[in-house]
Amino acid sequence: MDAFNTLVANLGIGFGVAFTFQNLIYCFVGCLLGTLIGVLPGIGPIATIAMLLPATYALPPVAALIMLAGIYYGAQYGGSTTAILVNLPGESSSVVTMLDGYQMARKGRAGVALSTAALGSFIAGCVGTLILAAFAAPLAELAFKFGPAEYFSLMVLGLIGAVVLASGSLIKAIGMIILGLLLGLVGTDVNTGVSRFAFGIPELSDGIGFISVAMGVFGFAEIISNVDMKGARETFTNKITNLFPRWKDIKECLPAILRGTGIGSLLGILPGGGALLAAFASYTIEKKLAKNPDPPFGQGQIRGVAGPESANNAGAQTSFIPLLTLGIPPNAVMALMVGAMTIHNIQPGPQVMTSNPQLFWGMIASMWLGNLMLVILNLPLIGMWVQLLKVPYRILYPAILMFCCIGVFSVNNNSFDVLITVLFGVLGIVFLRFGCEAAPLLLGFILGPMMEENLRRAMLLSRGDPSVFLTRPLSLTMLLMALAMVVIISLPAISKKREETFQEEAG
Amino acid sequence: MSIRRILAALAALAALAAAFAAPPAAAQAYPAKPVRLVIPFPPGGATDIFGRVLAQRLSEIVGQQVVVENRPGAGGTIGSELAAKAAPDGYTILLATTSTHSIGPALNPKMPYDAKRDFAPVAHLADATNILIASPSLPVANLRELIAHARANPGRLNYASSGNGTIVHLTGEQFKAATGTFVVHIPYKGTALAVPDLISGQIAFIFDNIASALPHIKGGKVKTLGISALKRSPLVPDIPTMDEAGLKGFESNTYFGVFAPAGTPPPVIQRLNTDINRALAAADFRERLAALGAEPVGGPPEQLARVVERDTVKYAAVIKRAGIKPD
Repeated sequence: MDAFNTLVANLGIGFGVAFTFQNLIYCFVGCLLGTLIGVLPGIGPIATIAMLLPATYALPPVAALIMLAGIYYGAQYGGSTTAILVNLPGESSSVVTMLDGYQMARKGRAGVALSTAALGSFIAGCVGTLILAAFAAPLAELAFKFGPAEYFSLMVLGLIGAVVLASGSLIKAIGMIILGLLLGLVGTDVNTGVSRFAFGIPELSDGIGFISVAMGVFGFAEIISNVDMKGARETFTNKITNLFPRWKDIKECLPAILRGTGIGSLLGILPGGGALLAAFASYTIEKKLAKNPDPPFGQGQIRGVAGPESANNAGAQTSFIPLLTLGIPPNAVMALMVGAMTIHNIQPGPQVMTSNPQLFWGMIASMWLGNLMLVILNLPLIGMWVQLLKVPYRILYPAILMFCCIGVFSVNNNSFDVLITVLFGVLGIVFLRFGCEAAPLLLGFILGPMMEENLRRAMLLSRGDPSVFLTRPLSLTMLLMALAMVVIISLPAISKKREETFQEEAG
Repeated sequence: MSIRRILAALAALAALAAAFAAPPAAAQAYPAKPVRLVIPFPPGGATDIFGRVLAQRLSEIVGQQVVVENRPGAGGTIGSELAAKAAPDGYTILLATTSTHSIGPALNPKMPYDAKRDFAPVAHLADATNILIASPSLPVANLRELIAHARANPGRLNYASSGNGTIVHLTGEQFKAATGTFVVHIPYKGTALAVPDLISGQIAFIFDNIASALPHIKGGKVKTLGISALKRSPLVPDIPTMDEAGLKGFESNTYFGVFAPAGTPPPVIQRLNTDINRALAAADFRERLAALGAEPVGGPPEQLARVVERDTVKYAAVIKRAGIKPD
């Protein structure tokens, strides 16, 4: 009861912050932008957050984070619109929605598919936010038991999780993580003050700029490679009628929404998890559970929209938990949020809750408000989003690229950063061509230096005795979990199954 | 886009226009156009806040816009180098600190600028003090007990810093030298990250900046054993100086000073010095500094020159004794 009262009091603080005029506006702007880029195929939330990072620099920290969070879950909503209407993934986690959503649209049920997606997302968003609010405080208490050894082991678990749960080839994921770790080594070593791989360039002595890497490999690369995209697709943009699902539809999809929410919430917390994995898992489970579905999955089954859409939104919500309580990003978007917080001089971690309660609870409250805004925003405005799909890319893309350059420059007033961004843009295109995901790279880039620091700090504290990682119970538990993941993934039956799952669903 | 940046850009444009419209600068009284105040650290930190407050005050006194320009990177080296190589006409000045002008040069012989030869001191703005905070689980109640405890347990205690070669680190080394103790240095990326380990007991003590330690002190989560200035701080008036608490003469401050490129005409430096001292005299300015744990100083340019020289010698000795090397 006591915990419940504190929770209510905390949420009170949060809503007090989120309900100010200014923050409502930024929440709205974030949701709007998020939906916008979610609708546009090819530009995902990672790219957008990367591009907008420098712009948030002039805002107060709370407003900045509220806006960035809004972009993140806004994109989850917007992505489904494109998936259903155009059969293109507006962003990666809506790949699954395409399977049945587009088929529903073909059968004249586009409106129902859209409202199911919105409803599922809203329910999942509410539950996810509640879970975040309820579990954040106890988890942050636990975080004070985390010393350098525990942090190191947790990051090992996180990186292995990112490999195991990556959606493409294992080898490529490992390669990208290692490349990220190596890039993270550039710059001054905290322990000794030695400059590493800086080649005498003073700009490199602080390391490669996070914004440059993120904007390069996600923003630049994705936009440039989108130029390749062929146009001309069958769309159902003019045929949206009967938004409201029938009673039969609701009865059918409600259990799927609840299951999707549960799966999404759980997978969102796991390192390497997040929205995409949650959507895949939910689809697989719905397919397994359904007995003689009519219509079958893949031909416009409403549960194939409801489940994954709920799951990806719940996952988007709960993936804030490790970031806000431990300061460890479970996926690439959260890694960007670390960057955003650092720009504002906030060290992500358990101390955020005590040192910036306004920011912490304000952000959580804003998530619920954002979810509400999205439902209101999305359903009536679907016609407008559809128009957006018609803006010629030859106008849209160069404009976006130019704003990116201005944004990168303005962080340090240094043109060197722009050059680095371009370099990473080129690298990013190469990665895309070889089918290497850039998300593990970014995760490695962020976690690598943190891991090294904590490893060396733990060794300093233990006076050079490596057994400290095995004698501290929390650390040992996490290392064992990491080991278990490696064992599971290397069992032949499971690794085959994993490949099948991803190929079947993504294909 | 930041409003600040747009304003800065507008100011720069105005400066350009003024430069073309006005007769040759020599014929005019200084300052004839906006003055650029380079801050070699990112926005939001203590140096940036001091710089912005100063720029605002100076703009009113000087009658010309003083524009802040953040040039962060490489521990202040990038911005300082920029100022060192700027035209010595008084239109580019730098807000520098102990780390760019005393510790940096002592630590790294290959600096791209010479802190003494390339700069003319203008005014000593303020000093910021560190506070010695200790773990709640450490069995000591005051500074004398900490020293005794450290002596009894050589090599078993740890202290945290905000990185190798930072003032927090060097203050710790200075403490070890002054007390003849051996405590292991554990670097973090900022003292805020070390505080959880201090509270959990893995770290015994930190010489933290007063302003950043204040929330933990008020929350009663850490022990406070003394401040590293010779005078008590108005922010924590109950906490004794380390000098009072038994370590005679122990002092470790960060200075904040305004510098101009070497070769700037003496009348210009004199004028800037007078104006900065006038800004420092204002009560609200002093309050802003105090809220951030800094003590306003002021005085003639020679005051700054003396402090730079004193701290360069002092920290060079600490660095040499502790064997801290960049390579």
